Amino acid sequence: MNDPVVLIVDDEKSLRDFVRRNLEARHYKALTASNGLEAMAIFNNEKVDLVILDLMMPHLDGLETTRRIRETSKTPIIILTALGEEADKVQAFDMGADDYLTKPFGVGELMGRIKAVLRRARWLEPSSNEEQLVRGDIRVDMERHLVMVKDSPVELTPTEFNLLVYLLKHAGRVLSHRVILQNVWGLEYGNEAEYLRVYIGRLRQKIEADALNPRHLFTEHGMGYRFEG
Amino acid sequence: MRRWLTFHRDLGLQLLAFYLFLIIPFLVTLLIFDRLVGERIRGDVEANDIALARAIALETDIAIDTSLKTVEELSSYTSVVNVDEEKMGELFSIVLGTRPDVNLVYRLDADGVMLYHYPVGPSSTVGTDFSFRSYYQNALTSNIPLISEGRISPTTNQAVATAVMPIRSSSGKFLGLVGTNIKLESLSSTLSAIVSEHEADEGFEVLILDASGQVIAHPDSAFLLKPANEIMPDVYTQALAGRSGSIVETDLNNEERLYTYASIPSVDWGVIISRPTANAFATRLILQRITQVAMATFILIGLAFWGILSWRVINPIEKLALISEAIGLNQELEQRQRTLIEKMSHRGDQIGNLIRSILRMENSIGERMKEHATLLETSTAVVSSLDLSVVLDRILELVGRLMNVQRIAIIALDQGHGEFRIRASRGLSQGFTEQLSIQPNEPSSVSMRALRVREPIQVSDTEEDPSYKPQRARSRAEGYRAVLAVPLNTQHAPPTCLLVFHTTPHEFTNNEIQLLSSFANQATMAIENAILFERSDARLQEQTRRLEALVQSMEDGLILSDLKGVIIYANRRVAEFSKLSNEDMANIQVERVISRILSHSIEDIARDEETKNILEGSKHKSEIALMVAGRPLHLRFETFDVTDAKDMPIGRGIILHDITADRDLDRMKSNLISTVSHELRTPLAAIKGYASTLLAEDVEWDSKSQREFLSIISNETDRLTSLVNNLLDLSRIEAGSLKLSLEKCNIEETILRGARQWRLESGNSFEVQIEADLPSLYADVPRLETIIRNLIENSVKYAGEQAFIQVKVNRQNDAIVFRVMDDGPGIPPEKSERIFERFYRLDDSLARVTSGAGLGLAICQGLVRAHKGEIWVEPINVGACIAFTIPLNLYTAGGGPS
Repeated sequence: MNDPVVLIVDDEKSLRDFVRRNLEARHYKALTASNGLEAMAIFNNEKVDLVILDLMMPHLDGLETTRRIRETSKTPIIILTALGEEADKVQAFDMGADDYLTKPFGVGELMGRIKAVLRRARWLEPSSNEEQLVRGDIRVDMERHLVMVKDSPVELTPTEFNLLVYLLKHAGRVLSHRVILQNVWGLEYGNEAEYLRVYIGRLRQKIEADALNPRHLFTEHGMGYRFEG
Repeated sequence: MRRWLTFHRDLGLQLLAFYLFLIIPFLVTLLIFDRLVGERIRGDVEANDIALARAIALETDIAIDTSLKTVEELSSYTSVVNVDEEKMGELFSIVLGTRPDVNLVYRLDADGVMLYHYPVGPSSTVGTDFSFRSYYQNALTSNIPLISEGRISPTTNQAVATAVMPIRSSSGKFLGLVGTNIKLESLSSTLSAIVSEHEADEGFEVLILDASGQVIAHPDSAFLLKPANEIMPDVYTQALAGRSGSIVETDLNNEERLYTYASIPSVDWGVIISRPTANAFATRLILQRITQVAMATFILIGLAFWGILSWRVINPIEKLALISEAIGLNQELEQRQRTLIEKMSHRGDQIGNLIRSILRMENSIGERMKEHATLLETSTAVVSSLDLSVVLDRILELVGRLMNVQRIAIIALDQGHGEFRIRASRGLSQGFTEQLSIQPNEPSSVSMRALRVREPIQVSDTEEDPSYKPQRARSRAEGYRAVLAVPLNTQHAPPTCLLVFHTTPHEFTNNEIQLLSSFANQATMAIENAILFERSDARLQEQTRRLEALVQSMEDGLILSDLKGVIIYANRRVAEFSKLSNEDMANIQVERVISRILSHSIEDIARDEETKNILEGSKHKSEIALMVAGRPLHLRFETFDVTDAKDMPIGRGIILHDITADRDLDRMKSNLISTVSHELRTPLAAIKGYASTLLAEDVEWDSKSQREFLSIISNETDRLTSLVNNLLDLSRIEAGSLKLSLEKCNIEETILRGARQWRLESGNSFEVQIEADLPSLYADVPRLETIIRNLIENSVKYAGEQAFIQVKVNRQNDAIVFRVMDDGPGIPPEKSERIFERFYRLDDSLARVTSGAGLGLAICQGLVRAHKGEIWVEPINVGACIAFTIPLNLYTAGGGPS
């Protein structure tokens, strides 16, 4: 397998270099851009496996860049930001980001996230062992990554797709936050309950008839979530 | 209880009771007397009758006893025993001769056969067997004489009773008997004599019955031997049983009779006397009749007296009570009652007098009431206005009506001139009213006198009254002969007097003066009210204008509504918020205005519910974000109760606080925090990143890289330090406590240091142009460096990595001008003012595009101003140019080291 290509976008040269140097030392191929416009130009010309994106940049900020990438691609995106606020995370996830790192962060943390995100993305590669997964009026075509709710297709991001598949496979069971996070996001995760909140909310928006009164995705307070077909 | 009350309230009943109280004892005495005397009379009659009956019984007893003795005696004669007819004849004739009541003497043998009787007579019964007779049967067993019951003697064919004596031999053998027939008629004749003593119509009856109950003696011989039960009720059994007494019974003809009876004990006979009770107790009945008549008379007299009393006294009194009640309640009497009372008032007695006096009183009260009503009406009319000229006009009009005069004047002190002038008048000539002026101390003026003594003063004839002499010319000119002056007791108004004129001599009556005085009091009040109102009205208007201006110029909206929620007042700001005019808002429900304001809300809110929330609860506060006229507006609604002095709610108020500025400040503050947070984290991220890179164990770095990383860490630490200093400067600028330390400044060096501190990107080109021969500049060098660094940093950020950045310095008047230019996108002119505001960033929609730009420019502005310079955006064709000045005379003017 080829070395993964990572696009690093940050207006701070020092931070950009720090990430690039570390990736290169670990046999990743690193590309850099100092703002969103540059990043889009590179993204459209190169095959990129992962985008690491700062939120605050001149010209085209991280959120907008994420939105534009998501218009055409499901390439995983990790957001970097100096703002650790919940609302910012939610906004980033809403735009389609896959993970989130708050400045300052260490190398270990960075590499862990990069590996996990890449691993999740690999799960999305077409697999032939299962074709169809049906629970109630929800049908998942594993091969084509297609989700149908009452026979109409629903667009899901990779992480949303993985989360839904995991929940479908364990329908009827109460799944704790930690279990879901470790199985969907990766073993490095476990305490990021807010990720789950955001993703479950977005899944409800997409698959439930009334997101405020869910019929499939139930919250088990203080424990986790439960899916019913 | 009610009856008792009725009794207490009804004089008629009381009088009736009093009357009964008087006559009842008398009537009772009369009844008792009647009863006692009645008893006495009855007793007398009964005793009388019993005595008579006993006398008759005694007499009869003696007659029978004689007969019995006679036969006993006869039985002892031998001729009788031996039946010697001849001798018996002699003996018997003697007996008949001495006993006129005996009509036959006879001898029966032992078998009861008639042996002999005397007189022999034509129809002899000798040889006839009489043994069936009861007396024979009785004689068989007896030794004493007996008397038989009454019967008809076959020998004499007369009603008789027989006395017999059994004859026995010496050995006791029954030899027969000797008997005499006693004529019952002879007994009856005695009775006839008694009866004849009484009047025939008295119905007096007397009779004797034998032991078998037959009539033995009766004045009427037709009744003889009749059984008693055929002629009378059973009252005789007692007599035959040997008793005597009297009893009242109805006889067979249903007539009540008094029966008196006595017995004749020797033969068990009875005497019965009877007479109708009507006769027997006649006296008693008369007495009873008298009693009844007396009682009836008393009752009739009583009723008549009571009736007359009711008709003549009580009824009129009741009518009077009605009038006085009607007068008390001020009601009109019914016509019928009115006529009745009218009729009664013609009576000459005391009642008539009373009615007349009450009617007079009614009239006078009515008049007084009418007077009061007129006065009240006029007073009401007078005080109904607060306009002084209207009040004076009304006073004149009403005085004219009250007093029936044409000429009236109100004289008041003209305080400007210090003299009295006519303030208002009616029916007086123009010349008089305009020219009349009276000095306050004028002794003969009627009005001045009245004002001095504070009493009404009249001149009934101006020609006659000597005190009026000095004024006479005036009265003659104006043509009045009588005048009445009534002072008005004013406090706030100037001294005022009311004048009434008559063209002919006129004595004002007490009543007139009193009426006018009363009216004058009311008029005074009205004038005072009007004057006070005039004064307070002006003050109130001034106050209202001030309040109105105050409320209208408030930046907050204010709505006042009544308790029903109808708007009473809303200020200018409410009109702006709701886009309604003041006319639109008058008298509409407050909900509509609030709802209309909420319709501008930028959030999706339930308008009705929110409106309700705002209107409810006295302490309710709610904040709503609106977009009005294209501008964001934050309103906080505060509802409160409006109460009067007694704390009773009289309405509701709503204040619409415009908190937009507060909100903007809040937003800026939170922007500051996130900006500072971002600014601090950026160098921290590099430090942490490189430090962790060095620490990572999975990668081995060469020593060149290690040095590079460590120098980056060091640089980023410097950057962090300068950032913290910048923030401190900013807070000092904010607090006004920034102290400059001025020193001579090498401009070029300072600029280059600033540029170096901000590491330019590799693509940037940088140029510094400094005018030659600049005078020495005194400034706080590190601060000047910071300004330049921030401006260069800004240019790099906005113009990008390839930007050409220029710094130009030249002299302009007494200042050095620094210009930092780039060839980037430039600053839109409409924003060139605001960019210096703290935390303001050019592109609001992408609020976090650049890091810390807002803070940097704000710091620049603060530091430039601290140097008494200016900073501005200078328009250029391409890119942005920010210019600032540092004054040259700072050193001398700023009080630095000289």
